[in-house]
Amino acid sequence: MDIKFGLISSDSHGQLDKDAYTARMSAQKWGDKIPHVVEVKEEKFSYPVERWMVNGEIQGGNVCNCPTAMKDRGYYPQRWEEVPREVYDPAQRLLALDRDRVDAEVLFPNGPGGTFFYDDAVFELDCVRAYNDAMAEFRRVSERFIPLAAVPYMSPIETIVEEIERAVKAGHLGINMLADPSTAVKGLKNLGDAFWHPLWNRCQEMGVGVHLHASAGLAGKLSLPQWKGYTRRQSHCVSTLRNFCTATQIVPYLIFSGMLEKFPRLNWVFAETGLGWVSSVLEACEHEWKKNRLWTEGITVRPSELFRRQIYVDFWFETVGIEMRDYIGIDRILWESDFPHITSTFPHSWDAVEHSLKGVSPADREKVLFRNAARLYRLDLD
Amino acid sequence: MELRYGVISADDHVCEHPEVWTKRMSKPKWGDRVPHVETQADGSQRWMIDGETVGHPGAGVVDMAPVAYNAGERLKAMDKDGIDYSVLYPTMSGMSGEWFGRLNDIELETACVQAYNDWLIEEWVHVSPRFVPQCIVPLWPMDRTVAEIRRAVKSGHRGVIYPSSPMELKNVPHINEPDYDPLWSVCQELGVPLCFHSGASPRIQMRPDENFSPATARAFSGIVRSVSSIAVLANFLFSKVLYRFPGLKVVFAESSLGWAAYEMEYADYQSAADGLGQEGYSLKPSELFQRQCYFTCWYDRESLRVRRYVGSGNILWSTNFPLETSTWPATHQHLDSALAGVPEEERRQIRWENAAKLYSL
Repeated sequence: MDIKFGLISSDSHGQLDKDAYTARMSAQKWGDKIPHVVEVKEEKFSYPVERWMVNGEIQGGNVCNCPTAMKDRGYYPQRWEEVPREVYDPAQRLLALDRDRVDAEVLFPNGPGGTFFYDDAVFELDCVRAYNDAMAEFRRVSERFIPLAAVPYMSPIETIVEEIERAVKAGHLGINMLADPSTAVKGLKNLGDAFWHPLWNRCQEMGVGVHLHASAGLAGKLSLPQWKGYTRRQSHCVSTLRNFCTATQIVPYLIFSGMLEKFPRLNWVFAETGLGWVSSVLEACEHEWKKNRLWTEGITVRPSELFRRQIYVDFWFETVGIEMRDYIGIDRILWESDFPHITSTFPHSWDAVEHSLKGVSPADREKVLFRNAARLYRLDLD
Repeated sequence: MELRYGVISADDHVCEHPEVWTKRMSKPKWGDRVPHVETQADGSQRWMIDGETVGHPGAGVVDMAPVAYNAGERLKAMDKDGIDYSVLYPTMSGMSGEWFGRLNDIELETACVQAYNDWLIEEWVHVSPRFVPQCIVPLWPMDRTVAEIRRAVKSGHRGVIYPSSPMELKNVPHINEPDYDPLWSVCQELGVPLCFHSGASPRIQMRPDENFSPATARAFSGIVRSVSSIAVLANFLFSKVLYRFPGLKVVFAESSLGWAAYEMEYADYQSAADGLGQEGYSLKPSELFQRQCYFTCWYDRESLRVRRYVGSGNILWSTNFPLETSTWPATHQHLDSALAGVPEEERRQIRWENAAKLYSL
């Protein structure tokens, strides 16, 4: 692909159009359970608002999480007609990328798309297929979109692998995974369980990385009970701030469970977690590895080496992690805009880039801004 | 204050000997409810309190070396490692002093807490002024908590240990509620720091898988314990407690530094993005932290390069003796390599001066 601006966002959120699921799932089979947008009355609003509904359940707060794409920045649209086309229409979205001077973006889900846990593995699988098909359309419109496949967690592992193979063939360049599926649905296996080995194996063979986004499903788990006295903004700030608690524990878990050594060419990508915490986690892992002589327990490669071999982390506002770039490993660092979420650098991403990368050499700048992402997603740079 | 080595360890642990309680609590009054060690049919030993087995990692240590519970032996260990003063946290009582808070009988809870606090004064501080004792307290109700803090500080305690998530131990209000104001208030008034030690909330720490070897599980648990304070700090910074009590000092013990520097920068960025300036937060979270809070480090080396995000005046060094994760007996070696290139004034702050000021040594 053509690099015009020199910037790839490794974490943005792709919204599907409101008919994405109804157009792809059997109405006869699933009827009203199919994800779609409905009009509802909410006390807070004097007019009827719209919400996504999946399996009869209303998904709360707004109809689309895109506050930085709005003219009135910070406003969450309440009706679908308020949602800018550049959030969900891939052709229009390219214009938003141009405006922010971003070459390409990795697409995590927005609205219904991450997980479909409704006690029905067949329904889940159909939703996942629809999601993966619809998101693959983005890549058909332009190779500037890098979609990540959803996982049908509740299916047998053979079905999961088959769906991921299908999605990758359709254009997906990675998979989006929960940090601990066993906490999401009773009976599912945790990340370290051998149940997942065929999936890791196949991802490794196909060269697609496993992505964990922010708290990766552990937001409610790795937190103190949330205080009811917080306003909505305060509550959002506190819960967002602690999301990187997941990455700081999953990285040691990947290292000490032996998973990285067992699948030595499989990449793990941590999105929206920042970088600054990596130094303390790696120092802690190295400290414990030496103290406990873990090379005698099967962890034969140094933790920092494993990290620099198989883990990617990204940043958007920070300077802390950039100052620590040599220790983290300059080849492991990606940039993200998080468009169109509230924390996004859009539409002034280059201001954020310059703020973070003061004093970084041109070669290192290119690595973190697009070359590392190009290598990870095997993009063919002209 | 006398400095021979130029290092104060701001986070060490005493391991409680059964006599802490059996010697101090009335047998006729409490009978078998007193914390004690029982030998099982298979010969193994375990801690019992109020008729129940104590099931947390610190309680696994029954057959201890005297250095764990004996002040005289501990002094020798400190000399070997080159440590002048040692700030003490518990082990069996919970590393963040949380264990007795689970008891339903608050009379029993208070008696257990008082025995621990008295033990530190009688058998540690009376042996040497190089020990900096910190009291544990009854969890609730607050008048009881405050009364014990006053009693303990009067007897020589220099810090107060309180679990960061009391609402997970008992049906008590959330830690952010004004119900806890008497706690913050008395610490501010008496000039003693309030200490949150990592590990108070099991739910914010991932558990090692069952198939991890014991050494690997220990390593993993040591790491997730310290980073779990990310969640504690995220809440505390926005709880407004520090606004209500601007003279209160708070220590996040066994935290480590790198993630903390990141959390400071992230908190400033995210609170601005969320528009919290309009909701009564007049200071940036990092400014608030630097005014009133402290982190403790031990293995950190590379992360010291970003210390300015936390503030050199807000960093305390520690050895974490005698936990698995301790740098003992090579603390000076660790420190020298960690502080290489750090200006003398900041070295002094981190090695001992911040702790000496905080604990009024």
